[in-house]
Amino acid sequence: MQRSGRMKKELEMLSKSPPYGISCWSKDERIDLLQAQILGGEGTPYHNGIFTLEIQIPERYPFEPPKVRFVTPIYHPNIDTGGRICLDTLKMPPKGAWKPCLNISTVLTSIQLLMAEPNPEDPLMADISNEYKYNKTLYVENAKQWTKNHAIEKNVSEENPVKAKSITDTGVKRTQPMCDVTNKKARDS
Amino acid sequence: MMPLVEQEQLTLFGETSRLHNFKMTDTVDMKSQNSDDSDYDESDNMDEDDEDDYCGYYDNDTDDLDIDKPKKSDDPEYFEFDLLHLEDAERLLNEEVEALCSKLKIDPSLAKMLLQVHGWNKESIIERHIIDHGKLLVDSKIKPAVKYKDTCFSNYRTCPVCYLTVQKDQMFSVSCGHQFCKECWDSFFQIQIQQGITTGIECMEKDCNILVPEDFICSALSKPDFRDRYSTRSFTDHIEGHPQLRFCPGPNCSVIVRAKENKAKKVECGQCKTIFCFKCGIDYHAPTDCGTIKKWLTKCADDSETANYISANTKDCPKCHVCIEKTEQCTKCKHDFCWMCLGDWKAHGSEYYECSRYKENPNIANESAHAQAREALKKYLFYFERWENHSKSLELEEQTLLKITSRIQEKVMNNAGTWIDWQYLLDAAALLRKCRYTLQYTYPYAYFMEKGARKQLFEYQQAQLEAEVENLSWKVERAEITDRGDLENQMDVAEKRRQTLLKDFLEI
Repeated sequence: MQRSGRMKKELEMLSKSPPYGISCWSKDERIDLLQAQILGGEGTPYHNGIFTLEIQIPERYPFEPPKVRFVTPIYHPNIDTGGRICLDTLKMPPKGAWKPCLNISTVLTSIQLLMAEPNPEDPLMADISNEYKYNKTLYVENAKQWTKNHAIEKNVSEENPVKAKSITDTGVKRTQPMCDVTNKKARDS
Repeated sequence: MMPLVEQEQLTLFGETSRLHNFKMTDTVDMKSQNSDDSDYDESDNMDEDDEDDYCGYYDNDTDDLDIDKPKKSDDPEYFEFDLLHLEDAERLLNEEVEALCSKLKIDPSLAKMLLQVHGWNKESIIERHIIDHGKLLVDSKIKPAVKYKDTCFSNYRTCPVCYLTVQKDQMFSVSCGHQFCKECWDSFFQIQIQQGITTGIECMEKDCNILVPEDFICSALSKPDFRDRYSTRSFTDHIEGHPQLRFCPGPNCSVIVRAKENKAKKVECGQCKTIFCFKCGIDYHAPTDCGTIKKWLTKCADDSETANYISANTKDCPKCHVCIEKTEQCTKCKHDFCWMCLGDWKAHGSEYYECSRYKENPNIANESAHAQAREALKKYLFYFERWENHSKSLELEEQTLLKITSRIQEKVMNNAGTWIDWQYLLDAAALLRKCRYTLQYTYPYAYFMEKGARKQLFEYQQAQLEAEVENLSWKVERAEITDRGDLENQMDVAEKRRQTLLKDFLEI
């Protein structure tokens, strides 16, 4: 199938010229499991946070969309407590809008955009969505608090998001101890 | 067989012959009306004949109520439809495709796409074609507004899906100009077909919504079984997209219903006997409309836990407090009571209005949110209980029917009349079913109704129907001891109430 050839090229491009505020790399040299980090954008309540994501590449990729999940907890109307993301490009038609011409880089960019501009009309978290619609100040407050608690790592340089790329497993463990330790345990067993 | 019954009625009711004549002419009219509908007349007429017999049968004793025989056009549930086999439906679609092909001078693949996109509305397509053919194709997602231009002079291209470099002539594109290699198109189509997408397959390029035509898909698919799956699945899509056609929702039933108008009317499949709404395809639901019944069923599914709790099959007898199942009366103390409100049955006749109408707390707006929520649940449960009760009773009615059949068998064996003589009992049971069914579907309607005079009228008629249905049920259960005339009169009254309610509230 088309997956391996394409993933090789994609990983190469992701490491050579990643989109701004995004880094992505293969986990344990596997082509079906990637890890990514998105830097919370300026002017959003996620500013300065580093959000880790896990990307599974299905066998029929790119005809099927990748499965993307937030590992770092995030306070967002379209992302649930399990890290699942409600985004149409991550779903197959007819419900979703995945196209084989989309790739990991474009998917991560749309997630970055979703973080900056939530879609309260298609909520995954009803409470957060209502808060976003009717009490935005409170939403910003809560989202900032979550970012501070879960996604801000004191050691990470604020100006240089690419540095996040060099933080491999250990770095991730520090940013997001709870989730990653459990993941690691699950993987090891 | 039929003349026997009619003769018997002639002797029973003085004026039957006049009415009978009326019916005859009516039937003839129906046939002439339908004769242009080619070869499906047989099944169709069979259905209508049944209906006719039904009407004629009850109308025999309407004299004392002084109501004229309803004409077909008066029947609020009357609906004309044909039952088609798969091949017939396929032929029908092909004819429509061909007609458009010759009219617009286009190939069948394109005609099919146009028809599917525009809900098989040929007239509208032709009209738009005459005004602006190019715009029609752009609006139909068949041609792009601006075609993608390949500006590369090299003999090689990189496929944007698999990222492999292939020769220029190995790249293929549909009308939008986005090129991909054959392998990628093939894999893409296979996976789309597996997802159940056929007529809606779009170009693989992001933000490009140009539809891929059938002939392109079939030539790219390498596996013949996928081509078969594509044609089966796209046929289903075409039927579903056609406003005049609908698959029978019955399990393993392949009948396709054709009706001239896409209305929420009753359709009975001639093959599997499923009765459903032509517009939405779920169980027939008059007088409730398609949107409301959907809302109601979703609500019932959401609240199933509470509903399960409330719809327990047993109740305590109001007199001796023994826990009983719904049969006919309390098996222990033989007390007859209303199953719904548990009131004494004897005193119940005139109070039905009170039993089926929900009495809302008039001061509810001033109550706390908590009290309002409790009131809302109470209201829902009130309607749900009545809805569920009729649904359960309908199941019980099946058993009643079996009992009646075996009782008739017994009578006939003991020389107490012929099978024909007892036929009216089966008709009564069938009518009871029909009335109860409508009654069941009045509760979702009432639940979502706005308060006001119309709701009051509705609930009044509902209560009237409720009373007559229960009377009928009572008489059917004791059919041998009540006399036939009385039962037939009750049948007519119940059916009249049902028709009146539908006439006033069934939105056509």
